[in-house]
Amino acid sequence: MSRLILRALSLAILAAFSPASNAFAHCIVGGRFFPATLATDDPCVADEMSLPTVQYNSANPAGREHDVGADFAKRITESFGISVSTTWTRVSPPADDATKGPVAYGFQNLVTTAQFQLLKDAPHELAMLAGVIFSWGNSGAAGVGANPWSTITPTFYFGKGFGDLPDSAGFLRAFAVTGQVGYEIPTTSLDLVSGNAIPQNVLWGTSLQFSMPYLKSNVVDLGLPDFINHLIPIVEAQFTRPVANNFGNDSITTGTVNPGVIWVGSYFQVGVEAIVPINRSSGTGVGAIAQLHLYLDDIFPSTIGQPLLGASTPMKSMAGR
Amino acid sequence: MRNIIAVTLLVLWPFGMTVAQAHAFLDHAEPRVGSIVPTAPRELSLSFTQDLEAAFSTVEVRDANGARVDQGKARISASVMRVGLKALSPGTYKVHWHALSVDTHTTEGSFSFQVGH
Repeated sequence: MSRLILRALSLAILAAFSPASNAFAHCIVGGRFFPATLATDDPCVADEMSLPTVQYNSANPAGREHDVGADFAKRITESFGISVSTTWTRVSPPADDATKGPVAYGFQNLVTTAQFQLLKDAPHELAMLAGVIFSWGNSGAAGVGANPWSTITPTFYFGKGFGDLPDSAGFLRAFAVTGQVGYEIPTTSLDLVSGNAIPQNVLWGTSLQFSMPYLKSNVVDLGLPDFINHLIPIVEAQFTRPVANNFGNDSITTGTVNPGVIWVGSYFQVGVEAIVPINRSSGTGVGAIAQLHLYLDDIFPSTIGQPLLGASTPMKSMAGR
Repeated sequence: MRNIIAVTLLVLWPFGMTVAQAHAFLDHAEPRVGSIVPTAPRELSLSFTQDLEAAFSTVEVRDANGARVDQGKARISASVMRVGLKALSPGTYKVHWHALSVDTHTTEGSFSFQVGH
């Protein structure tokens, strides 16, 4: 746990010394705000940090798994960003035979992502993003299931709000969908320990969101309590299917469906979701995930919350004040 | 969890934190978003969650034919934007606003209201 905190703090402090430049936003496209989703990724580059993401995971069918994760995302330019993710895991029983005792502790492999914003179409509340996810082999503990091989996953992300529907669509205009699809390529094709082939996988996920903030600001103000007006009920789903080099393994699609809710504030959001496995290969019980997510562009608007490259133009001087 | 957040923010504060001002989202409007008002309002008022930059924040009100029915430049005081309205006949009106908060974050949005029953 202390290693996790130290890693997150080190990254944050490093970023705090970055030079300031032009500031824009987290995932806002026209009148639509796409919140940071818990199981999948939102369709924008941004300056943000998830600390922590806590998860009880039933995705390990053989035992119980608890995860504590941290994620830090930083824009390099207005359209290009990188992120670093780390997850500490406690699993029982251990994922390998070498670990002594009934429980294994340790970090999963370090994950880094590079993303480029392809499109932000404000009138149609449409965002598109391309990225490459690197999972660094041998950077985690074998006892918690971290692989000795790396993977590279080119991924496409999108988000679409329905606010451009006609006014007669009413409440439907508050809905939005996001999604992502990626192709996971391992850096080796054979696990020399087990002798099994290491498959290439297609990974895809989606979310359906109903935005109470959007309903209040763009469709109809029902005069509901303030707390309700900050909620985004959401259902996420994520799936994995081996599609190549899967000799000797089952070609079964695994995944989870995650119903939950996200409370959105000005500087942070809090999300909670259940994790429901879609079949026995995906897990044997319902899990849960909770996340505190910080909007660094709003908390630190003139330092961390700006891209590293790009000129800064203070608005007060532009306005001649 | 509370300890982790507290430690993180405490460490970050001296290095980068200025006065935190977030995106300016619409908090409420008068006439209210999506409402039906029996009599024509003389003014549209938009209240935001953050203070605005007056020089870069605008609002337009149009009728069903797309004709402007506002009286031009909005008056902005802190987080409130106001614009006068011409004499509105019964019908549906569309409001489109664009806001720049004082920390350079931009937001926009639109909504409708109706005059008459």
